[in-house]
Amino acid sequence: MRALGFAWRSLVRQPARAILGVLGVAAVGALLFDMLLLSQGLLVSMRDLLDRSGWDIRVSAGELPGRGGRVPAATRTAERIITLPSVKSVLIVRLANARIESPSGSPIAATFEGVRGYARPGDRISHPWTVTRGRDAGGASETVIDSAIAKAANLQIGSLITLRASCIGDREALPPAQLRVVGIAEFPFRGTDEDAMAGSLDALKAACGGNVGDEADLLLVTSVSEATATAAAIRDAVPDLYAMTNDEVVGRLQQTGFSYFRQISAVLTTVTITFAVLLITVLLTVSVNQRLGEIAALRALGFSRSRVVADVLSESALIVGSGGLLSLPLGMLLASGLDRILKGMPGIPAELHFFVFEPTALAVHIGLLVATAILAALYPMRIVSSLPIAATLRDEVIG
Amino acid sequence: MSEIIVDAKGVSRTFAMAAGPVHAVRDVTLQIRAGDHVAVRGPSGCGKSTLLHMLGCVDAPSSGTLLFDGHDVSTLSDSKRSALRLKRIGFIFQRFFLLPMLTAAENVELPLSEAGASRKDRQARTKELLDYVGLAARADHRPSQLSGGEMQRVAIARALANSPQLLLADEPTGELDEATGAQIAALLDRVNADGTALVIVTHDQALAGRARRVLTMRDGRIEREAAR
Repeated sequence: MRALGFAWRSLVRQPARAILGVLGVAAVGALLFDMLLLSQGLLVSMRDLLDRSGWDIRVSAGELPGRGGRVPAATRTAERIITLPSVKSVLIVRLANARIESPSGSPIAATFEGVRGYARPGDRISHPWTVTRGRDAGGASETVIDSAIAKAANLQIGSLITLRASCIGDREALPPAQLRVVGIAEFPFRGTDEDAMAGSLDALKAACGGNVGDEADLLLVTSVSEATATAAAIRDAVPDLYAMTNDEVVGRLQQTGFSYFRQISAVLTTVTITFAVLLITVLLTVSVNQRLGEIAALRALGFSRSRVVADVLSESALIVGSGGLLSLPLGMLLASGLDRILKGMPGIPAELHFFVFEPTALAVHIGLLVATAILAALYPMRIVSSLPIAATLRDEVIG
Repeated sequence: MSEIIVDAKGVSRTFAMAAGPVHAVRDVTLQIRAGDHVAVRGPSGCGKSTLLHMLGCVDAPSSGTLLFDGHDVSTLSDSKRSALRLKRIGFIFQRFFLLPMLTAAENVELPLSEAGASRKDRQARTKELLDYVGLAARADHRPSQLSGGEMQRVAIARALANSPQLLLADEPTGELDEATGAQIAALLDRVNADGTALVIVTHDQALAGRARRVLTMRDGRIEREAAR
């Protein structure tokens, strides 16, 4: 009987202890797996979100889009950028706070995204939203709204909405404007608690009573080929602005806001592994101490030191391996629940996820569990490897 | 003269204890030859088991030389001593030390498996040994389903698995009633008659009386040796 088979029989001999160990590792392993998913989840999800949007460079006044004020002279800047040979299209994005009048009484607060695009002849310009019903807004009196607004204000495609938008500051007197709903859209960069609507920059101007100014919150750029070179060309062309590729945006987020998640994840990973190691060490040590006489007898019968050590290591591997396997579905289930809770935080884009499965996370998970099995077995392995055979046999008879 | 298996010359074993050194075995000179049947007697704590452990290469002398098959045990590495025990020495213990999660057959098979025997050879040898000790019908029973005498028979079969030259038994009837002890004694006689040298440490006079050589120990020394 080889070490693994022997270890299996030892575990089956004490099923309660084995089940306790496996369940303990499964619970701890699930947490560990979730921490690994969390450590990179936001970055992976954000990168995916940025890549899926179809824009590979973001030009803004601050280091990160949305921070550091607005881009001045947006039209001239966009026209300058579109002339660069490596640029395919540019989209001016301007945001405004809007209040939509609702038949139910209280107005609905929403973010209005006004855009204007510049493209090379023959190239199509996409928008940072996806129309799910109806068509996209184009004219100065058209808009697309998200399904939450449509439901709350009982709006259909073709309905007229009355809104007041503020493009300069919240304190300005808001003139009412009317826009026609031509489509229902999803806004992947808007939070789940945030209502959004969109249209052309002209529609935004109309909603703001003309008080817009030639400013942009953001310029979105699609490059013809390699984004890094295009971003460098844009920085040369408009040196006062920040032009960042998707990778650079993600890298910046990694260094700033998202680093908290990595730190939390690192701390919790260490804690969970420590728990797992202690749990298995205690279980194996108790088990080995209960079997010292048997182990000494096996050694007397000629079992080598390495063989009895391998038995203990195999036992640890079986407990951690079985628990580790269980930890995967358990971890995914837990991650899904935690993701739902965390996405309830204000301002989190609907399509952003905190826990994202990645093969590397699974590989690290397996690696950490292997290390756990070895670490946890170290002390009980030391007990059996240094077991004095004669003294143990004598003590067992006296005891 | 038959071949010498164990040749102990001036062997002593001292244990360092907090209260001072304990001299468990003192200056013992002894030879065990092929086919020997030796009983070691003496009061508790006189060093019988310690001597047995040294003869079986699970312990090494503090002084003196102990040769097993011509090899100085003190100079052998742990793995070489393990290999020696596995292939040349069998052990029987007072408390049997069968593994409770394995069947009788699996317990017997363990040393064969450790020695690298093929599955076919293991199964054949296990069947042969369980037949030999009269437990063929109990092959699939676990130790908890066996009586004390049956467990000791399985332990004897396990000790004989790799056909050792020397079988060492430490109080093999210590946990058994008189009748069962007599059956085990008869089985050990048969093992010896079939060519395996036997050294038995025992308080049991009847069991000791079956040996051809009886060593009586006191205070770590062999006080006298009687031959039949």
